[in-house]
Amino acid sequence: MARWQLATTWVVFLGGALAAWSLAAATLPVPAYVLPPPLAVLTSGTELITKGILPMYVGESLRRIVLAAGLAMLVGVPAGLLLGLSRRIADVMYPLLNFFQSVSGIAWLPLMLVWFGFGERTILAAVNYTVLFPVIFNAMLGVRSVPRIYVNALRTLGGSRWRIVRDVLLPGALPNIATGMRLGLAYGWRALIAAEMLVGANGLGFMIFNAQNFHLTARIMLGMTIIGLLWLLLDYFVLRPLEEATIARWGLVQR
Amino acid sequence: MKRLAATGRGVLPFLALGVVWDLLTRMQVVPALFLPPPIDVLRTAWELGRDGSLWIDIGASLGRVLIGLVVSVPLAVALGVAVGLNRWLAPIVEPVVGFFNALSGIAWLPLAITWFGLGWTSVTFIMFNTIFFLVFFNTLVGVRTVPKIFENAVLTLGGGRRHVILQVLLPGALPSIVTGIRMSIGFGWRALIAAEMIATTTGLGFLIYNASNFHQTDAIVVGILAIGTLWLATDRLVLQPLERRTIERWGLVSTAP
Repeated sequence: MARWQLATTWVVFLGGALAAWSLAAATLPVPAYVLPPPLAVLTSGTELITKGILPMYVGESLRRIVLAAGLAMLVGVPAGLLLGLSRRIADVMYPLLNFFQSVSGIAWLPLMLVWFGFGERTILAAVNYTVLFPVIFNAMLGVRSVPRIYVNALRTLGGSRWRIVRDVLLPGALPNIATGMRLGLAYGWRALIAAEMLVGANGLGFMIFNAQNFHLTARIMLGMTIIGLLWLLLDYFVLRPLEEATIARWGLVQR
Repeated sequence: MKRLAATGRGVLPFLALGVVWDLLTRMQVVPALFLPPPIDVLRTAWELGRDGSLWIDIGASLGRVLIGLVVSVPLAVALGVAVGLNRWLAPIVEPVVGFFNALSGIAWLPLAITWFGLGWTSVTFIMFNTIFFLVFFNTLVGVRTVPKIFENAVLTLGGGRRHVILQVLLPGALPSIVTGIRMSIGFGWRALIAAEMIATTTGLGFLIYNASNFHQTDAIVVGILAIGTLWLATDRLVLQPLERRTIERWGLVSTAP
């Protein structure tokens, strides 16, 4: 399909959807808070931006997820690599890590509430936990998935242990590490929204949950749109290119 | 025998963790209010199991996942194939569904409560949105990545549109569909726990959140263990074998990245 055709179909589709939404909001016999028109969503957006609330909430949510990503990279990746170095340790740790990876951070939230109280520390603990474990787990799997033959090849050629780690295991594990980061952050972003709803005093999750208390449905829809778009941008421009680049560059395709 | 040894090694770290946990609490390093000793957790699990409330909560959570699957998956697969066949609609719908994927899970909760109030309907609505869009997206992508040559082969041999759909596109898309279902249960299960904390009065999410209000850490730990074990069992016994088998049987190796 030609580029202009695609663009035209897009405009028609989007315009049609917005028109149908406006029409439904104007004609359906429901209170305005049940289905606000698209214009109301836009208005609430400009209002929140001029008040400075929206940029602050977006900033707070992003700060938390970036912090979690940084911690996962600085602590999770080395920890996973170290565990993967020894086949025996990795075998022993596998079920344990798999278990902790499976219990989402949000399930720990009630326990963290008792430990850290009602506030920022609990949110950060839940989100960091959610991002960290898939990263550790996948980094470990990555090291383990490197075929022995490459390690042996380097060893035969007289490579030291350090050379093996640097030139074989680390690059071989990179595709898995990228996958782990992507999965961990996908879960982490959702855990963040949930945690902000439950114990937050700011952030996007708090914004939409609090708006529900006051029947500010336009604000809920605005928040949802931003949550979805932010994740799409992060995934599309950072995480997916990273994953594809590492797989293209270092991926070991074995058949 | 080898399998048994492997299982034994798998249990070992859990045992070690249990011993450390027991020592920490026994020696009062961590107060019981923060982390109850394992024996207390076992006792609480036994009590919750005996009065039936634990089974009710587990049943409620599993039931919600099942309802979500039964309602969403057939619809998502049918729509995914239908849209995937349409070369005008598919390039438009794909990014739209991608957006709703990005939004999946707990972000729907405030809107669900506004529309349906607290309770089953809201939770089902969240589960539907989470599962439907992921499976729809994967079906759509799966159908679109089946190489044209297989379709042409069936057409050349005198097959009709029905043959193309049933014998080429659907089996070709199946590995992608199953992966979508597995992912959707992963995201759905997490969203469910969070939604149950806020919007219902049954389920494992409610169990742990409610226990937290009364500082009953032993009940929280019982709930966390149940959540982890249930997910691991589903993934190991149902989802992974299903995915492996469909990929072995219908996977198109030539298109895999």
